Amino acid sequence: MSVDVTLQAAATKYRNKQKIKDRFISAFIGVFAIAWIFPIIWTIWTSLRPYKDVRANGVFSLPKTLNLQNYADAISRMDLPLYFWNTFAITAPAVFLTLFFGSLIAFVVSRYSFRWNVSLLLLFTAGNLLPAQLVFIPVFKMYITLGKAVGIPRLLYDSPWGVVLIHVAFQMGFATFVLSSYMKTIPKEISESAMVDGATVFTHYTKVMLPLLRPALASLGVLMTTWIYNDFFWALVLMSTDSKRPITSALGRLQGEFVTDYNLLAAGAVIAALPTLIVFFILRKQFVSGLTLGSTKG
Amino acid sequence: MSDATHGISRRTVLKGAAVGGLGLAAGGSLLAGCGSKSTGPLAYGARSVDAGPTAQNKALIAAYTAKTKNEVKYNATESNAFQNNLSQYLQGTPDDTFEWMAGYRMQFFAEQGLLADLTSVWDTIGDQYAESYKIASTGLDGKQYFVPKSWYPWGMHFRKSMFKDLGLSADTVTNWDEFLKMLDGMKKKGLVGFAAGDKGGWEAMGTFDILNARINGYQFHVDLLAGREKWTDAKVLDVFTHWAQLIPYMNPNVLDLEWDGAMQLLLQKKAGSMLMGSWFGGNFKEQSQADYDDLSIIPFPEINPEHGRDTVDAPIDGWCVAANGTNNDGGADFLKFAGDMEGVNATLAAKDANGALIPMTSANKGQDTSTYDAFQKEQLAVMDEAKYITQFLDRDTRPDFAGPVVGPAIQSWFKNPKDVNKIVDSLQAQWDALPPLA
Repeated sequence: MSVDVTLQAAATKYRNKQKIKDRFISAFIGVFAIAWIFPIIWTIWTSLRPYKDVRANGVFSLPKTLNLQNYADAISRMDLPLYFWNTFAITAPAVFLTLFFGSLIAFVVSRYSFRWNVSLLLLFTAGNLLPAQLVFIPVFKMYITLGKAVGIPRLLYDSPWGVVLIHVAFQMGFATFVLSSYMKTIPKEISESAMVDGATVFTHYTKVMLPLLRPALASLGVLMTTWIYNDFFWALVLMSTDSKRPITSALGRLQGEFVTDYNLLAAGAVIAALPTLIVFFILRKQFVSGLTLGSTKG
Repeated sequence: MSDATHGISRRTVLKGAAVGGLGLAAGGSLLAGCGSKSTGPLAYGARSVDAGPTAQNKALIAAYTAKTKNEVKYNATESNAFQNNLSQYLQGTPDDTFEWMAGYRMQFFAEQGLLADLTSVWDTIGDQYAESYKIASTGLDGKQYFVPKSWYPWGMHFRKSMFKDLGLSADTVTNWDEFLKMLDGMKKKGLVGFAAGDKGGWEAMGTFDILNARINGYQFHVDLLAGREKWTDAKVLDVFTHWAQLIPYMNPNVLDLEWDGAMQLLLQKKAGSMLMGSWFGGNFKEQSQADYDDLSIIPFPEINPEHGRDTVDAPIDGWCVAANGTNNDGGADFLKFAGDMEGVNATLAAKDANGALIPMTSANKGQDTSTYDAFQKEQLAVMDEAKYITQFLDRDTRPDFAGPVVGPAIQSWFKNPKDVNKIVDSLQAQWDALPPLA
């Protein structure tokens, strides 16, 4: 009996201790959650206030008016359909091509052993380490020279295809790396039996590997989409016509030469972020699994 | 130097020939360049997406098209993005005529052969401009590469109503002692005397410009920015000594505010004065006509009697023609129209969304100054008093020096004014380490 009581007391004590620990952890997580969510809330809050009010009373004043006027203004000034279409015309082919080429290379380097396969993989991954700011001048010169050589100055420069190509080139290293790690987790026996059954290299790729790669492709696709969607740099340096640039540059349209109406800009930022948020919430599962993709390879 | 220039012009000629050979339209425009009105369609690159300038540009283009039947394609880019990307823009597939700035910023690109010679334009419309504008439009090789549109002066801005309350007037703030006395009076009333923001890194350059010009004179300032004088000179240290005297009268959060934060202090009557370019007047007007009417500008006070108030920072905005464009003659023809009083009037006739005229101080001396509002007349007075016009630090020196080096240096000075010796040493060392211009 007494043993029972002691045990119970110990259990209660343990539970209380655990409760305190839990509370502490919850508070800790809470603080971080607030730190993370604060800028977003602040952006939304800012977007609801007119600049005139802020200018006259300061950022921390209590608002006199809260409305959606900034959103209406942003939509009318940003020329949304055009810029969203531009973004789509860059992002969709770029993601598709990256995944296609990435999976091809990953397939070869992980399924076939030849002398250079590790070096090849390293080469592709190493390309990832170069910052865009470092290589943009040579890329720019290359595009110009190529355009001049064939007599069409806008062949790659100032063309969505030029931007698509550079995205493919830049993202392919990462895609290859991730997909090859993922492929290595697929048992070799599957490939072996395919080959025993007489599958050609091409059939092996399309009929055996691709279907197995589907989850990896989906999550990688989501990641790539967000990255390419958020790009501003390449579209800026590789295009000269503003009406061909993606939505990120349309945000610039809300920025004045001297006067920046941050309230309007905040509304524009919320609008521009919506599509990625929607994609994220629809494909949340893939996104999360994408973060740990290939990390469990033994 | 002359070798390089020849090399560039030879390249340009070859390029022109190549383009002419490729397309009939381009070939046609080359032939039509000989004085004919019809120079064919062209593209216009705007350096702003703001409502006011856009309305002005559209009005100007409409007038040009109505007169010459030449279609103009309009390509507007946000100003910061445009500016940062200009080098690529000009080497790639630029618009034929584009908006840019006078002085060093223009010469920098002209030297690289990226701008088209506009001497012929100046031969036609040159007599409509004062000599100082022609100098600001001229490249290092003596040819013109720029057509000016408008200007605005940098000066001390204040609110008339507040000046009255403080018992001040424009002629009681003419020299450094009076200026410090004014700031002291404002401080005693609990006001920020000298509203300042330098978060953007460029705002305080205007203060450096004017202090240097007032203390050491125009020539030293220009020579310093061109690298002919040293930043470690005692004269530069003197500028920072004077500047340090202003710090007690500034808002304490200089590095947290951008220029518009400083402006808000003036707008909200929390600050008594602000050194800034007059362009921000548009903000006051947008707030209310009463606020705009209350706004006033005077020249920065005299410090060294030897130089008086003989220099002003007055950046000139205007247009260039891109050498790599497809229709250089079209671009030049457009600028002949834009720079002429006819084009200026078309620009001035543009109205904003509320149907009001957009205030602009044109570079063309033909503009009727009697139509100026009170604030514009004061700007003109500030401009007229000055013998020398500078463009602003980031337009008067190398682009790879102003933004990346001087901006952060001034910011670090604000953080620790005692480090001034270290800061000027580093400025000079970084200037010396710059690669020679191509």
